[in-house]
Amino acid sequence: MEVLDYDIVVLGSGIAGLSAAIHASRIIGPRCRIAVISKLHLMRSHSVAAEGGVSGVLYPEMHNDSYDLHCYDTAKGSDYLGDQDAIEMLVNNAPKEIRFFEHIGVPWSREPDKRILFRAFGGMSVKRTAFAADKTGFFLMRALYDTMLKSENVDGFHEHFVTDLLLHKNCFAGLLSIDLATGSTKLFRAGACIIATGGYSRMYPFTTTSHSATGDGTALALRAGLPLKDMEFVQFHPTALVPSGILITEAARGEGGYLRNAKGERFMDRYAKSVMELAPRDIVSKAIITEIKKGRGIDDEGAGMKYVHLDLRHLGAEKIDERLPMIREMTIKMLGLDPVEEQIPVRPAAHFTMGGIHTDVNGSVISSTLSGTVNGLWAAGECACVSVHGSNRLGSNSLSQCAVWGRVTGTASARHTRISVAKDITVKMGEDAEERINSIRDSDGANDPYELKERLYNVMGEHLYVYRDRRGMTSALAAIRRIKEMYKDIRVSDKGNVFNTNLRDALEIKNMVELAEVVAKCALNRRESRGAHARTDYKKRDDKHWLKHTIAKSVKGDIAISYGPVTITRWHPKARTY
Amino acid sequence: MKESTKFAPMYVAMIGVPVLMVLSAIAYFVYPPATTVLFYLITLGLLAFGISGMREVYLARREPKGIPVKLAKKEAEDYAQSEKKELSGRDKEIKLEIARFNPSTTAIGLYTYTVSANRFTTVLELLQGVKEKTDSTLSMRYSCRMGICGSCGVVINGKPSLACEANVFKSAKDGIITVAPMEGHPLLKDLVNDFDDFFEKHRSIDPYLYRKDKNAQYAAKKEYIQSQEQIEKFLPYSYCIMCGLCLDACPVVNTNQGFIGPQALAQEYRYYADSRDQAGEQRIGKVDVLEGLWSCEYAGACSKVCPKGVDPATAIQLMKKEAMKSNITGNKKE
Repeated sequence: MEVLDYDIVVLGSGIAGLSAAIHASRIIGPRCRIAVISKLHLMRSHSVAAEGGVSGVLYPEMHNDSYDLHCYDTAKGSDYLGDQDAIEMLVNNAPKEIRFFEHIGVPWSREPDKRILFRAFGGMSVKRTAFAADKTGFFLMRALYDTMLKSENVDGFHEHFVTDLLLHKNCFAGLLSIDLATGSTKLFRAGACIIATGGYSRMYPFTTTSHSATGDGTALALRAGLPLKDMEFVQFHPTALVPSGILITEAARGEGGYLRNAKGERFMDRYAKSVMELAPRDIVSKAIITEIKKGRGIDDEGAGMKYVHLDLRHLGAEKIDERLPMIREMTIKMLGLDPVEEQIPVRPAAHFTMGGIHTDVNGSVISSTLSGTVNGLWAAGECACVSVHGSNRLGSNSLSQCAVWGRVTGTASARHTRISVAKDITVKMGEDAEERINSIRDSDGANDPYELKERLYNVMGEHLYVYRDRRGMTSALAAIRRIKEMYKDIRVSDKGNVFNTNLRDALEIKNMVELAEVVAKCALNRRESRGAHARTDYKKRDDKHWLKHTIAKSVKGDIAISYGPVTITRWHPKARTY
Repeated sequence: MKESTKFAPMYVAMIGVPVLMVLSAIAYFVYPPATTVLFYLITLGLLAFGISGMREVYLARREPKGIPVKLAKKEAEDYAQSEKKELSGRDKEIKLEIARFNPSTTAIGLYTYTVSANRFTTVLELLQGVKEKTDSTLSMRYSCRMGICGSCGVVINGKPSLACEANVFKSAKDGIITVAPMEGHPLLKDLVNDFDDFFEKHRSIDPYLYRKDKNAQYAAKKEYIQSQEQIEKFLPYSYCIMCGLCLDACPVVNTNQGFIGPQALAQEYRYYADSRDQAGEQRIGKVDVLEGLWSCEYAGACSKVCPKGVDPATAIQLMKKEAMKSNITGNKKE
């Protein structure tokens, strides 16, 4: 086991992680060193797949917009579960981040007068989303990665899979990782750590996310005994391409696309008459599933699932090529279908996980005792739950969230008085963890990890999809626990050291199974419908009993659930209609 | 051409042919046989004219309108032919051959698997299928499966491609798909290459927006103004996903590992052409060396295989021009 000493380690290299590293590196000074660790090549994080854009009020007078309106839209979109102090922080800082991205090279789409162009997005009252065609996330990632290369004091660690988060007496001590290229283990010791590992949507069979979105950082926190928040809220994006689940950006509707059922009707007028297709994602997803359940979906045996149509034909080739080129490129290359002439088959898919590591408004991770924070540990981006998005995220708020809290946590970690846990203690913990990895690598049990993944997929897709009920979730929880039990007798066939993806997959699947148990339990316990959590047995939102955050943590192999208050400042809950 | 003008020859023929037939019948009784033959000939001509018009309309419909520049013509034609098929498709059996690099023996061995695919299946899905169902020791890189993360560059039936973007039915030759690792990069295991050197080359060209006032850049108080025209100068070169396929295709890289390669050079041009960048001619000076611009022999393979339509070959020639200019005027900056 190699031991590496750093001042700050950033785990994850998406928009949040890279932003954190860049801002920390400027503040901390050239003598201090920062490590950015990713299980992929740094520039390949799932953030590259973001298409639509970044929200922020840049020209209030031009779009008849204000910070307050952005706050209100976000609070309403969250179904009032978002903490409003955090929402205000997001809104106040987002415009600066849009300008910062421009300053590091992002080619924002522009107005004829050279200003940054904004587009409409679901749940946003006015045009508020800055974009670079439909590859916004990709351009942001490339600009951030390239800017990171400028910093002499940042080292990137490509393809290092972190298996353990080491804490000592409520203080961050280090991370243990496997270097995939060689199979050797590396222990990173540091005085500060920022977790930015993204969401856990990959536990669903039909998802828009990359294969890497397995919630590793969130699972690390869970295993370290740290609390997770609002894990039951999983956003289903209404328009994922059938059958692969590839995202068709919300901008397709923002630019004027229609949703049609098998009869060709624009069915959204039954669900959100005033905004039609531009209703928030939870509402559109529920509408599509309702249409399909009522027999108005398109049934296609070859695709293996029922779906509805996204109609872009009336936009014309020119507008599609200018604003949605990637959508056209993908549908032509992968389905042999041109959106200029044909409708696109779509269906809701797991897209974003609102829940995550419980942090305070500054991104500091809350300690296992739920009082105060862990010394030297932050979480930013999708893996953290601040909570800005509450029970449902508005499109384009996620990239702003990643950028804002990336900067906040990066700055905080650099300014923080870093305490290093004694070397021998950390190394001892690292060695224990290393033994656990080796035992998994050597395991030769009866169960194949990929088979367990299939089982998990079936459970999640069947019982914890858009609509949920008590009976389904109870059986889901039992099934997940059985899978967890089976995992103890796992088999890793690849015993090699060099690029052993079989071992990595087995560890990822372990992470997903553990998080799935939390999702199922939290969802079962919340007896109301709010935002993305839609129950058929409790159809109404219940502010009297359930206007509170779910806090879950692992206690002796079981999940203990408690609840915490929601911060409401200026926008009090009322009925959410569009 | 407008729809109505395209239809014109057809309409003319539709009305003209019967009229002429009636006229020729009358002519048969009045002045046989010379006029009749004449009328018949005119009728035939009109018929041919009408048919050619119909062909125009047919072709126009067959060719999809405004296919993005990035799609090659062949691809557009393929698409046009598959256009009207239903979404559903039957499974077909495919022979998948994988060239796997063994790190302990450093040999490449060919392994054959029989797999099934339908109209939607991508080569990446075949590989994942083999890994998850048949042989878990197979290693390859993948992540986004939508052609944007740049992980899954491999060589499919001899062509450097992204596995996630390669449709099985389109890529298969006689029901066979061969997947091999790229050889323009060092090999690690199976289909996985070592990218360290590649990333180092990218880093060596200072791939970031250079501004004189760094504090203002980070504080981001005011935006930099840029017109759509200025954006379009560098935008085509900014689509690089760092998949490394261009280096695999480049004949120079494959014989001279010291050559900085098309990816890094194209990125140098991307920042050089950006009106917000203030490094200016220093960027040209940096690559105006033998192992830089001047090792490029303009084979153009890099541009041909780029899955994102980046054109490194052109970028390099444009920089050669700039370098020549500053060499001649004596304004060369190191």
